[in-house]
Order: sequence, then structure tokens, then C-alpha cells
Amino acid sequence: MSSISRLSKLRKFFVGEGVIKPNRKYFVFSSDNIRLLFSELINTIGYENFYVSTIVGTDLISENKIRLDYYVVILPEEETVVFRTYLPRDNPVIDSIVDIVPGVLSSECETHDLLGVVFQGNQFLKRGFFVSKDIVDKKQYPLRKDVKV
Amino acid sequence: MGVSKVIEIPYVVELPVGPQHPALHEPLLLKAYADGEEIVKVEVNTGYNHRGIEKLAESNSFYRNIFICGRVCGICNTVHANCYTRALEYLLGLEPSSRAKYLRVVAMEFERIHSHMLINAIIAELLGFEALFMNIMLDREKIMKAKEILTGNRVVGDYMMVGGVRRDIDGVKRDQLINILKKIRERVVYYRKLWMEDDTILKRLVDVGVLTRVNATKYSFVGPVARGSGVRIDSRASDKYDAYGEIPWRIVVYDEGDSWARMMVRWDETIESIDMSIYALEHLPSGETAIPDERKLPRKFPEGESYARVEAQRGELTYYVMSTGGVNPYRVKIRTPSFLNIIHSTILYPGYTVADLPVIFGSLDPCVSCMERIYVVDLNKGVRFRIRLKDLALKKVV
Repeated sequence: MSSISRLSKLRKFFVGEGVIKPNRKYFVFSSDNIRLLFSELINTIGYENFYVSTIVGTDLISENKIRLDYYVVILPEEETVVFRTYLPRDNPVIDSIVDIVPGVLSSECETHDLLGVVFQGNQFLKRGFFVSKDIVDKKQYPLRKDVKV
Repeated sequence: MGVSKVIEIPYVVELPVGPQHPALHEPLLLKAYADGEEIVKVEVNTGYNHRGIEKLAESNSFYRNIFICGRVCGICNTVHANCYTRALEYLLGLEPSSRAKYLRVVAMEFERIHSHMLINAIIAELLGFEALFMNIMLDREKIMKAKEILTGNRVVGDYMMVGGVRRDIDGVKRDQLINILKKIRERVVYYRKLWMEDDTILKRLVDVGVLTRVNATKYSFVGPVARGSGVRIDSRASDKYDAYGEIPWRIVVYDEGDSWARMMVRWDETIESIDMSIYALEHLPSGETAIPDERKLPRKFPEGESYARVEAQRGELTYYVMSTGGVNPYRVKIRTPSFLNIIHSTILYPGYTVADLPVIFGSLDPCVSCMERIYVVDLNKGVRFRIRLKDLALKKVV
């Protein structure tokens, strides 16, 4: 059974899908369902059979959105699937999943520090996690497209 | 005489280790809280070495970024450049020749050999074995020489290019490399035996910093750290990029989960890497060129997204590249293995002694230049500013 077919219970959360080259499937979900989606993933395959590899945040300035991609590696096949969601650029807030998937801690902290996404419920979020004090003092998020550092 | 002062001694003392500390070879602050000799909590403080490379990549062309990505980390430069280059090849729909794929594997495995030998030497030093550290480093020089023969440089090779590699080798160099590898193999087998039998090494590493199988995935540990806890993950096997699907090798997994298991994974992988490199060199495909003609490569990239993975010496390294159809990438996201292995390592220390802390940390093979990513700091004026790599190379900065 392929790893994608084992995720059939998660289909109810998906509103779109596509492929990132060379062959990584992505599934679009509503940002409100992030905790439900990952809870279902844990219930379906268990903590031993997946890990969150990274969160890729991208500032889509022309669409006034911030896109978040959660790259999840499904084991034992070690197949990467992507859960994709969009947030409004002027208020990029999403629920944190650090309490249910502790492996996202570093990625949530980095995405907050560099892009300004607020992960509600993550008590470890802070400015200066990576960027220097002068950028923090200017209240800039360096990976925003309108920020020149 | 009555008591006039009361001195309160806190039950738990705070012990800052780093960001500059003899036990840590990287700029990172581990804030340990100890109850007597026992560590009860550790916090990791980052941000001492962030260089803004992802932002830098957005203002440089797809091709120039190959050199920038190769400088994210000195030890892992070949895998960084390979992962980014493959992400570009996915966007372009380009496939390197078989000979180039084999040469890429050899270069990356050379890097794994010297990296694994380095961290094992450092662990020996942390344990107090100065002579063993010196001996391993002396033998490691041989593989550095081999890398120089292959790529032209002993550390930063700049070997990868879109569609192939930058240099090829002839039969004389191939035989030279095989001879060097056979000599190193004997030494690595000897060092592995030491790690299996030496009482001091076993007492300092066995059952220290235990990571369970479930916590390895729950906290997203990757590479030898995860494989030392029984997690069978290796992107060389699952993605079969370059020539990894054509060369016989096995994934090394240990179930113990302690610092010893993580180091043993690295010794076994070093032997596997030597055998893989010898096989690749002996079966190097002929008849095709490994070096593509740069003039025929497109300047503009098509619109699209790609995501490449590579099994770096410290674990899964990933590059996401997004193109909007221009000459520069719209977004480059780098996720290095140390980014996961170090920040999430706080769960490994509680319950062990203060003396175990550098050993556990060392067993994770930390790399902060990988994890954080060019600022220049003028210490006399107390200011920071950014410069172009070209200006740095031409020494325009005083």
C-alpha cells in the first residue's frame, strides 16, 4: 500500500491538490483545519510513521497572501507529501501544532522570525530566534518581499 | 550575635555552555540547569551566526546561487550544491549523464567519509583521547587529498553544475583514488574496533543521551541520529537520486538510541561510503561526457516549484526552489539536518550529568553554519553591513 493511499482518511480536509517537481504531491487545506488534519494523521498512522521535515513559508505579495507548506515524510516508504495552506498577508495567523507534533518547533519559530507568521499557542515564538537585533528593532520580517535588508 | 543576612542558594543552578566554549565547536548557547551534577533542563539559544542566505539567494541568479549554496557549510558544501543543483535540474527537466551521476556520488561520499571521521575525532577529544583525535585527523587528511584530486580543492569543491560536474578524472587519477580509499579502509576498520572494545569509550557513550524510536520521529530527528534510534530513513535509498540506485550499499541502523549507537552508525557508514566509492570508481561509465556545455544552458528558468532532498552526512537536507519565470529564484528555502537535530535536542540531556552534556551534544554532530545562515561586522566602528561576495573575493572590504 502506497503512503498516499494510507492517507485516504485525510481527504475530507483537502480542497485542492497538485505536484511539486519532481514528484511531491501537495494537498491544499483550509488553515482553520490544521490541528484537525494533524490529529487525524497521528490517529491514522501514529507518531512512529511520519515526521515533519520542514515548513516552507512564501510571501506571495501579488496575491496578498502568505503560503505555508508543511512537508511531511511518511514512513517506512519515506515519501514526502506536502500540506499546503494560505493565510492573509496582513494578518497571518494559524494555530500552532507544536503541542501535538513537537518536531515543528524549530520551523514554526523560524517562520515567525523571518516571515511574521503567528502560530497561536506556541509559547516559544520570539523575535531574534535567528535574525539580528537591528532587524528586530526595525520590526522587519526579512523574507517579506517588500523588506530590503 | 544575631543573624543579619541570609544567603539563599538556589536548588537548581543555571550553567551557560557557549556561545563560545571549549566543549562546543559551534556558536550556540546551551543553557543548562543542574541540580548538583544532574541536568534537569536545557534551553537552546540560537541566532549567533545567521547570514540571511535565503534572502541573498533571491537577489542572485539561479546559477550564481550554486556557489552561494556551496558555502552554507564548509564540511557539507558538496551536498548543499548537489541538492540545490538537482532542484534546478527538476525545474529545467534536465538529466545529467551517467558518468556525471557516478562522479557526483563519489564526491558526496568522500565528504561523508571526512565528515564522519571528523566528528568521531572530536568525540575522542571530548572524551580526553587527544592522541586518538590526532591519529584520526591524520588519516582524515588522506581523504581530503582524495577530494582534492577529484574536485580540485580539499574542502570547498564547487564540483556541481547544472547537468553534470565541473571536472572529470582520467584512469591514472581513478587508480590513485582507489588506492587511497583502500588504505583509509584499513584504518577505519581499526577505529571502529576501538569504539566497540575500548572500556573508556564504552563507559562514556553507552546508555548516555538515549533517544527512543518514537521520540526520534515525533521530534523530527534525522540522519545518523535517527538511524541510531532504529529509524530506517535515508534519502539515498528512498529517492535514489544520481547513481544511488545503481550502486550496492546498505542502510546502517542501530537500535540502542544512545550516543554510542550514533557514533557507530557513522563508523559503519564510513566503511559503506568507502566501498561505494570504490565500486563507483571501478564501474565509472565511459563514452559520455560528465561536463556539460555551460553556453547551452538556459538563462531564464520556467515557472514552477521543485523540492530536492539529499542525505547529507548529518541527515536529510532539503532545498525548495520557486521560479516565476525569470533569471532569479522567487524563493529558496533551505532546511538543514542540524536545524532539527540541535534545536530539538533539549529532550536528550535531562537525567544525565553535566560531564555528559558535551558528549551528547557532540554525538549529534552539530553544525551551526548549516543551521543558521553575509554580514560583515566592523569591530572598530561597531557596525554591521552587507557586501557582495564578489567584493569580498576582490578584497574590497577593509
